[in-house]
Amino acid sequence: MLSRTAEHLYWLSRYMERAENIARFLDVANRTALSASGDRNAFWRSVLSIAGGERAFNARYGEASAVNVVSFTVLDCTNPSSIYAALRAARENAHAVRSVIPNELWEAMNATWLEVKSMDGPRLREQGLIAFCEWVRERSHLFRGIVDGVMLRDEPYHFLRLGTALERADNTARLIGVPLGGFSPSGAGSDPFGHVHWAVVLRSVSALKAYRTVYRDEPKQTHALDMLILRDDMPRSLQSCLGFALKSLEALGPDLECTRMTGALQARLHWSKLDELLDKGLTAFISDFITANNHLSARLHEDFLMSA
Amino acid sequence: MAYDEMKSQAGGVRAPYRTYENWLLSLPPDLLRRKHEEADMLFRRLGITFAVYGDEDGTERLIPFDTVPRIIAAKEWKHLSTGCCQRVRALNAFLTDLYHGQDILKAGIIPKEHVLTNNMFRKEMMGIDVARDVYVHVAGIDLVRTGENDFYVLEDNLRSPSGVSYMLENRAMMMRLFPDLFARHRVAAVDDYPDILIKNLRSVAPSKCKGDPTVVMMTPGYYNSAYFEHAFLAEQMGIELVEGRDLFVSDGLVWMRTTRGPKRVDVIYRRIDDDFLDPDAFNPDSTLGVRGLLEVYRNGGVTLANAIGTGVADDKATYTYVPDMIRFYLGEEPILNNVPTWRLERDDDRKYVLEHLGELVVKEVQGAGGYGMLVGPTSTKAQIEDFRLRIIANPSNYIAQPTLALSTVPTLVEQGIAPRHVDLRPYVLAGETVTLVPGGLTRVALTEGSLVVNSSQGGGTKDTWVLENDPC
Repeated sequence: MLSRTAEHLYWLSRYMERAENIARFLDVANRTALSASGDRNAFWRSVLSIAGGERAFNARYGEASAVNVVSFTVLDCTNPSSIYAALRAARENAHAVRSVIPNELWEAMNATWLEVKSMDGPRLREQGLIAFCEWVRERSHLFRGIVDGVMLRDEPYHFLRLGTALERADNTARLIGVPLGGFSPSGAGSDPFGHVHWAVVLRSVSALKAYRTVYRDEPKQTHALDMLILRDDMPRSLQSCLGFALKSLEALGPDLECTRMTGALQARLHWSKLDELLDKGLTAFISDFITANNHLSARLHEDFLMSA
Repeated sequence: MAYDEMKSQAGGVRAPYRTYENWLLSLPPDLLRRKHEEADMLFRRLGITFAVYGDEDGTERLIPFDTVPRIIAAKEWKHLSTGCCQRVRALNAFLTDLYHGQDILKAGIIPKEHVLTNNMFRKEMMGIDVARDVYVHVAGIDLVRTGENDFYVLEDNLRSPSGVSYMLENRAMMMRLFPDLFARHRVAAVDDYPDILIKNLRSVAPSKCKGDPTVVMMTPGYYNSAYFEHAFLAEQMGIELVEGRDLFVSDGLVWMRTTRGPKRVDVIYRRIDDDFLDPDAFNPDSTLGVRGLLEVYRNGGVTLANAIGTGVADDKATYTYVPDMIRFYLGEEPILNNVPTWRLERDDDRKYVLEHLGELVVKEVQGAGGYGMLVGPTSTKAQIEDFRLRIIANPSNYIAQPTLALSTVPTLVEQGIAPRHVDLRPYVLAGETVTLVPGGLTRVALTEGSLVVNSSQGGGTKDTWVLENDPC
């Protein structure tokens, strides 16, 4: 397969996953802000910390009100971290490889883009943010459903899977590390509002129900971290994401450096205890993880001669 | 009054359209329009779109698709297809001759200065042998009809003609919208086009290729107006769709960059003009091409389809000599007629044309896409005078033809079903053999009375049916 094709496939699924994750977080911030007492803007500001683009936001909008944050992260075409921009980039990449991906995959991505392109402020208000976020999530489910349901398990499939896995790992890490609505997770579990915080985080990755099934308890930091970092039966945990990436890399090039790096990182998560991982604190762990994940992505480009 | 392909002169319905017309009359009123809207929606979702050059907002547009098919009788098709293949055989013989012995110039059939000073003549190609002596692997022959038995060739498109994906997609769309119509008609299938094309491309591997040739499709990129077609054909043929930046030259061969290292490329079906192919040899500013490609090509390391330098054979002045080429190379009489053409570098021709500009069509010799042409009868005085000055300034850049009354086919427009002018572009494929699939792209001028069918000028397309047997 052409190196350029690999690159487009990788970014296509990264952007699709990014759009989904922004939508997930917006949705949760929205629901939480509606019910929370205290500083609502703090919730909206944390959306920016996760989705990115905080500096551009401050320069253009200033106050982190619901309207401003939603405008910026949903439809602002000048914000490279908006849902709009992510879906546009996903579609552009799909367009460049439409002879390689299944027709139905291209059609789904094109239809998604046409829909979001026709969306504007008034239509979004009429539809409501909750319904819109649901729609984005569904389009992403559809994307993965087609990839899993019809694609030949050869190179294009694995590059798509890699993009999803590494983007998701990055997102889950950010989600764990970001202070949300004034609550700082690195301040240990003594915070009286900790369970509210972790309930929100788990809900944003659709894991609250699973949490209750596994732990039969209200959300607590230790359990939540166990679930989001270590559990390999939780598909959005860091450990799972690296596991997915490793599986695809073993199919693509078992002897490559990026495969070794992924394996080493995954093994560390797999064999370490949570308090060993967190011995320098949660913030340090998360920031190291995000850096390592970025190195993986860079190495991937090098090993497959993608232009990055 | 133009010839209508459905309603014959006598007021009845012509045989190929009889079954269709019966079906049409039985339809509930709004059905055709609803199907039309459905087709639009589907084409948009499929992303079968077209970028129009010079259109600032850069959005992709649909080429309007008309749901009324254009139907061609089996015996008409036999005549047209034999005639098109004959032309392509002669044009390939001409290019082989032109870039080798130049017998046709020595025999005085085509004036030397016409060809050798033509800027589409590539002297880099002199003495170079191409596989199977095929220069034109894909040709789009534009045909028009003016009467029951009157077909004319309007031009030969020998430089990567586009539009064949619409032939294929229009058929797929019609089958989806109107399955019952295909049960009532025996319409010849067109969907083996990609199979024939890839077979031909594999048959013209270069001399340095031993074994199984690797064929790729080369596109200028996904911002090109015909990108959809490039991707579509690559997918249908199961070959890589490459851009110039994916290829490089090393050790006298062409390679593509893949995730598993360099892979050798033997045949390039390129949808990019000569000028942009190789910045070392042609336009030095081209970022679309591959440095050193021409040298590899000249040494038999790679095949380009179509070959470099075919443009000299499809300009509108060379066109006038094609009937002579058929006689000279094949010893046959031309099956299809040319449109009578005035060459404006000739004094007599120019004098006549300048006196009759209001009745004629004037075209730039190397124009394409309906740009740079004058349709006398539908132009304003100012446009005509402007063209007069342009012709006087550079007469050899123009040819003129009578305004042909192009045939019409019923077409769904605002007011209902009305006759609109059409042309036809079948695609001739050359390699091991010279053939074409039974069909082509029918383009239709949607504006009442308009004769300009180009999609860049607001033309639409129709599915083109060739019947397998004619009704008696």
